Amino acid sequence: MADLYMYLIISAVIFTIGSYGIITQRSGIKILMCIELMLNSANLNLVAFSSFNDNASGQVFALFSIAIAAAEAAIGFAILVALFRVRDTINLDNINILRW
Amino acid sequence: MFSEPDSIFPAFIVLLPVIAFVLTLFLGKKFPHGGAYFPIAAIAGSFIISLGVFLEIYPDKIVQQSLPWFANMNIGILIDPLAVVMLMMVTFVSLLIHIYAVGYMSHDPAKPRYFAETALFTAAMLGVVLSDNILQFFISWELVGLCSFLLIGFWYHKPSAAAAAKKAFLVTRVGDVLFLAGIVLLYVNLNVLINKGLFTPEHGNFILQFKTMFEAAKLIDPTQLTFITLLFFGGAVGKSGQFPLHGWLPDAMEGPTTVSALIHAATMVTAGVYLVARTFPMFAATPATLSPGVPDSLLIVAYIGGFTALFAATMGLVMNDIKRVLAYSTVSQLGYMMLALGTAGAVVGAQAVGISLFHLISHAFFKALLFLCAGSVIHAVGTNDIREMGGLFSKMKITGTTMMIGALALAGIGIPFINIGTAGFFSKDRIIEGTFEYGEKTGDMIPYAFAIIAALLTSIYIFRLWFMAFTGKPRSERHPHESPNVMTRPLMILAFLALIFGFTHLGFYGYLEKNFELMGVEVAGHEGEAAATSPIVVLLPVLVGVLGFLIAYAIYYKRILNMSKIVSSNNPLYKLLLNRYYEPTIGADMIGVKLTHGVVAQSGEFVDRKIIDGLIIDNIIGKTTFCLGEIARKLQTGVVQNYASVTLLGVGLLLIVLKLVGGI
Amino acid sequence: MTAYISLMIAIALIGALIAFLTKTREQARAVALVASGISLLISLIMLSRFDSSLTIMQFAESYNWIPSLGINLSFGVDGIGMPLVLLSCIVIPLTVIFAWGETKEANKFYGLILLELVGVLGVFTSRDFFVFYIFWEIVLIPMYFLISIWGGPRKDYAAIKFFIYTHVASLVMLLAIFTLYFNAWNITGKPNFDMFLLLEKYQLLDGWLITNVISIKDAIFIGLLFGFIVKMPAVPFHTWLPDAHVEAPTAGSVILAALLLKMGGYGLFRVILPLLPFSDSPGRMITLMAIIGVLSILYGTFLALAQRDLKKMVAYSSISHMGYVTLGAAALVPLSVSGAMFQQFSHGLITCVLFMSCGVIQHSAGTRIIGDLGGIAKHMPKLTFLMLAGFLASLGLPGMSGFIAELLVLLNSYANLPTFVILALFGIVFTAGYHLWAMQRAVFGTFNEKLGHIHDGANYEIASMAVLILLIIFFGLYPNPVLNMMTATATPLVRDAAGLLGVIV
Repeated sequence: MADLYMYLIISAVIFTIGSYGIITQRSGIKILMCIELMLNSANLNLVAFSSFNDNASGQVFALFSIAIAAAEAAIGFAILVALFRVRDTINLDNINILRW
Repeated sequence: MFSEPDSIFPAFIVLLPVIAFVLTLFLGKKFPHGGAYFPIAAIAGSFIISLGVFLEIYPDKIVQQSLPWFANMNIGILIDPLAVVMLMMVTFVSLLIHIYAVGYMSHDPAKPRYFAETALFTAAMLGVVLSDNILQFFISWELVGLCSFLLIGFWYHKPSAAAAAKKAFLVTRVGDVLFLAGIVLLYVNLNVLINKGLFTPEHGNFILQFKTMFEAAKLIDPTQLTFITLLFFGGAVGKSGQFPLHGWLPDAMEGPTTVSALIHAATMVTAGVYLVARTFPMFAATPATLSPGVPDSLLIVAYIGGFTALFAATMGLVMNDIKRVLAYSTVSQLGYMMLALGTAGAVVGAQAVGISLFHLISHAFFKALLFLCAGSVIHAVGTNDIREMGGLFSKMKITGTTMMIGALALAGIGIPFINIGTAGFFSKDRIIEGTFEYGEKTGDMIPYAFAIIAALLTSIYIFRLWFMAFTGKPRSERHPHESPNVMTRPLMILAFLALIFGFTHLGFYGYLEKNFELMGVEVAGHEGEAAATSPIVVLLPVLVGVLGFLIAYAIYYKRILNMSKIVSSNNPLYKLLLNRYYEPTIGADMIGVKLTHGVVAQSGEFVDRKIIDGLIIDNIIGKTTFCLGEIARKLQTGVVQNYASVTLLGVGLLLIVLKLVGGI
Repeated sequence: MTAYISLMIAIALIGALIAFLTKTREQARAVALVASGISLLISLIMLSRFDSSLTIMQFAESYNWIPSLGINLSFGVDGIGMPLVLLSCIVIPLTVIFAWGETKEANKFYGLILLELVGVLGVFTSRDFFVFYIFWEIVLIPMYFLISIWGGPRKDYAAIKFFIYTHVASLVMLLAIFTLYFNAWNITGKPNFDMFLLLEKYQLLDGWLITNVISIKDAIFIGLLFGFIVKMPAVPFHTWLPDAHVEAPTAGSVILAALLLKMGGYGLFRVILPLLPFSDSPGRMITLMAIIGVLSILYGTFLALAQRDLKKMVAYSSISHMGYVTLGAAALVPLSVSGAMFQQFSHGLITCVLFMSCGVIQHSAGTRIIGDLGGIAKHMPKLTFLMLAGFLASLGLPGMSGFIAELLVLLNSYANLPTFVILALFGIVFTAGYHLWAMQRAVFGTFNEKLGHIHDGANYEIASMAVLILLIIFFGLYPNPVLNMMTATATPLVRDAAGLLGVIV
């Protein structure tokens, strides 16, 4: 069934873009956005398999995942905003006080 | 009553002085004379018991008692003729010296410690004498050494005394280790014999008991037996101050004079001779490979003894410290005793023990006498240096006379052929004759030469001492006075004994000869009665004694020679003798301090600090760990992106690998 | 059957907890004295009820702990453990008495001392390897704190060195225990940490840990041996000991030398000797142990001779004396092994006196450097008397316990290890040498006026030393109470070994 492969390929592309962004980007906002991309590619997989198998539990998991992603994004952005107020930057290279 | 197998009296010979030791140590301060009466009463008790035992067992019984101790060892008591004569001598001399010490030590504040230590010493010495096994012998032997250490260092605040005590302990310790090695070797050999079924100790006998040892002696491999006996002799060399371990004994004179008399003249130093006499059957059983007819070990005993007799006498000639002269004299006389065991052992077998022991006992009397006289002199003039004495005879008649008797006994003066003379005349001259008989039998006259020359030197140095101290003009501003009665009475008793003890010689030899037969042990080496000796041989020892007297008389009384020319630091021979053949320099400084402490110990310290700790631990192990840590730390960049890339890379690689392996 | 052992350990543990909670030093030391005193009492009762002729574990008790892994809380003593239990229960109360004047954080100090008691008692009585290991590690921690809190100027260095050394050794030992445990599990099909079962299964093991390099048997053996000899300590793994001793407070040194070192020796008898005949190359292992033993004896002696610090000298003398334990164990003759066990017991008593002497001198004169002292006998007569007695005991004077131990080792080891015994004999003269040399320079001679006004040891210090001296003399004259049980246990221990190796017994 060619449809499933289409979804999986799109999902893989999105995941790769996300992970590339995480590795290359230095801005906290961008990294968070890339994480969202990766999460959504996983969601896409879940929904695709769910539809493929005629089983609704995958879609339920996707909903869970979206909820958690929302929470995570909220906390992540809150931290970044707080950091920006203190350090005037969200460039992760400069936020290294916990590094050895 | 004293000699039954279950009698408790023999044990009390040792226990009484032990009790006295404890009482004096803890209660001595509260009693007059530092509690001196405790040891005096205890030792008197021991003497009475010894005498009682002697009267009961004479002439042909022995006392044996034994109890199991730990592992396969026992503690026990063996009183045979050899032991009983030693017991009586030790208790008697010790008793007299304790009485004398009440006067001699009267000004010393540490009297309780002194009397406690001498009581302990007496107990330990009696323990040596009474032992029925070699282990107990060794234990008492070590305790004797401990007491010697404590008493030499009695005035511990004097650095020289502390050093002399240490030296005495260490040098004798060298001998003790050899002795211990001998015991180890003996024990192993006996065990091998028992395990192979070649030898079974009699029921109830323990492995290290003398009886077992003697019975097994013939079965032990001869080479091993020679080693064992020589190692024992090594112990005896240390304790009895024989060459080359003689250096501690003259230094031991740092202790009080009474200690020198009791320990370093009359009793402790004879323990080495006693050891050889005690294990004589083993020495006699060694093979005769070096010289036909003479067991190897006895030959070595003879040579060491003879050489020491001469060697020490030469140093006795030049010493100026009155006690040092006597100390070298002791070393020399102990050499005679060893010589007797070695040479006469080859000629007359077990009678050698009697000959040697007779000299041991008569020496104990006259040497204790000489030391106590020296003590009396020192007490009176307050110095040890005979150059500062002189003309004392007019002030100290008793001391002077008794000391002259002691000197005559030491020189062995007497009238040959009709057998009248001092104790030394009978005991020492018999030894010299024995060496001559030995020479005749084996053709080896060297021991005889040692003995006869040493006899001449002995006579010279002892009369030199007497003339320098008691005649001439006083050479220093002192006011000597005769010592109190408590000191002079023991002198008189000892002088009396030094005069008459010799007359017991025939009975003594006969009694001691049976010693090992009574234990049921045969001693080989007895080759019948010695041939009648020519008159010149009998006469010569006395002649050299008189000659020595005349020489000393001429030089030190008549002053026909000006000694100051000979006695100068330019005379190399004099220097050599006065410096004691450089023995302290070689022994203590070079071997002790420079080699052991300086080289070996310091290099060990270097290895420990610099190599084990510094190089291996700190540099190799420590630095490597730190380097690894440093590298690992660099990997942890703290940048999340790096971790993520590595993770992704890893997952990718893993997938590829799985694909290649065919897992998916 | 009363549960003596767990009672004893529990009392010490409760005592330690109470001591930590007390507010004043008077309370703390009273608690410590009472708790350790009760332990002593229990150990004496055990001694009186102990049957010296039996070789099995006595006063045995066992409780389930983690059944799924085969771990039980099981205790018991035999002729190896009983004397050391007694030793621990003698030494700890005396240490408490000796340290009666401790003022710095007294509650922690006494609590840690009691915790040490818990640890050593557990080690000497555990019959379960897992529990054994736990107690082994428990011992480490209080000692670390004793050194690092109450120690001298370089205490941090010494404490961490002590910790790293002994901890590395015990980790190696743990690996060996686990290897043994899992392999035995494979064979029997069920997990069990029982010490005797594991030791018995050792002979069934087979195979390589690293192919053709080291077999499983050798790996286990060497791992365990390493763990024990570092603790003893034997040359060349000894350098932690002098540093730890020099910096540790007197009570710490006493416990370290008298009890902690004995754990290594205990391991040799309990674990190494049963394994020895079944290891892949018993002859090589015996030679290895004998070399380590003699090396320790001689090296320790010479190093002691080189020391300027009295306490460091005593520390090196410990290394030298513990060498006799290894040597006697390696000789595999019943009496040499029991002599080695007795050496452990005897050294435990003697070394206490030596370290206590150093402590009193340090306290009174303010220095322990031998060259800076001199003539202190004049002002410290009681200490001098006891210290001299201790030094004489340490140099092996007959009539004291050390002599019996060394004599048994030397006499009985000669049959199997002649060369090594001859070498060890050499050490005796030098042992006497450094002891007397130190006494002569530090204690006798003229008084060094620079020391100022010095006073004799306090009564409680003198009293605890005097008790030890009496015990040393008692066991030197009458060693049977402990020696008999040691011999009874040593005989079957060695019989296997001797039968398999063909060594003369």
